[in-house]
Amino acid sequence: MNHETLKKMNPLYFLSYILIPAAVTAVCFWLGYTFFHDGGAGAAILFMGPSFLSILWWAFGGKLLFKAKRKKLIREFQNSGFRPDQTFDSDFCTVLVDMEQGRLGLIFFWNPFKNYILPAARITKIWTDDGKTGAGVLAGSSRVSFLFLIDGIRIRVNTFTSNKRWRMDTEYILTGISKADLMADVLTKAKERSV
Amino acid sequence: MGFLRKIRSIFYENWCGRCQIDMVTEHKKLYAMPDMTVGNYRSRRTPEYYRDHLVLVEDKSQIPAGMYACRMTASRCPECGYHKVRLEVFLPVRDQEKREESFYFDKGELDSFIRKNSR
Repeated sequence: MNHETLKKMNPLYFLSYILIPAAVTAVCFWLGYTFFHDGGAGAAILFMGPSFLSILWWAFGGKLLFKAKRKKLIREFQNSGFRPDQTFDSDFCTVLVDMEQGRLGLIFFWNPFKNYILPAARITKIWTDDGKTGAGVLAGSSRVSFLFLIDGIRIRVNTFTSNKRWRMDTEYILTGISKADLMADVLTKAKERSV
Repeated sequence: MGFLRKIRSIFYENWCGRCQIDMVTEHKKLYAMPDMTVGNYRSRRTPEYYRDHLVLVEDKSQIPAGMYACRMTASRCPECGYHKVRLEVFLPVRDQEKREESFYFDKGELDSFIRKNSR
């Protein structure tokens, strides 16, 4: 069980994720321009290959890596003697909760090489955000989340997001609110049972 | 008028389709469905499932967040004696309800369950 301070983002990983493919693509463009100025297969490979691979990496690489690291967290959580009664996966964070023993497992998209398994007693505040804006018939939301504070660090886990705004009585918003309320209850119970 | 009443009986849930009159509600209770939680709903249409899995509650506040609920209404026609049980499955979300589905049993499949929970 680690007692380190939580880090939601690894700056080195974040910058590498974005800048390294861009830098490699730029270098290949320069090489292509310099050595294959008149075109040909070399130019085609150097111009098309790295840019295509960079796009694939940005689109899928992070997600695949996060998925693999998430499985590793679940294994580690279970090997530590805890049982994940409730697991919530969102795009940027996965939360595992052992309610009986009051333990949490956390992993973040922008810090996938670090698993956190810690006592739920470290949570200082738990709440939900239904994302409601507007009033009356114009009331709606495009994001629903549950949030908690650990060591002063706010962790937001989205239960529903959309690029559109939905009325508060639509099934997407109601489902998102229900999931957020459920997870808030689960975290509260885990915190009460935690030593 | 008879034709309109027949049409209305399709849409108005507590009507006897044979007699076109209001049925009498004999039993109306709320149940929690502990093995159905948000994101894990599966439609179940067998009476055995509901006999085995419903837990009687007094009101919605007793149902934990994220757990599905079932409103069971048993009605009987005072004229012909036709008896049906309506199950309305929904997810309670704070002060609202997310309706999932409704269906009927009218061959007495849940009569023993209703008698047990009416005491």
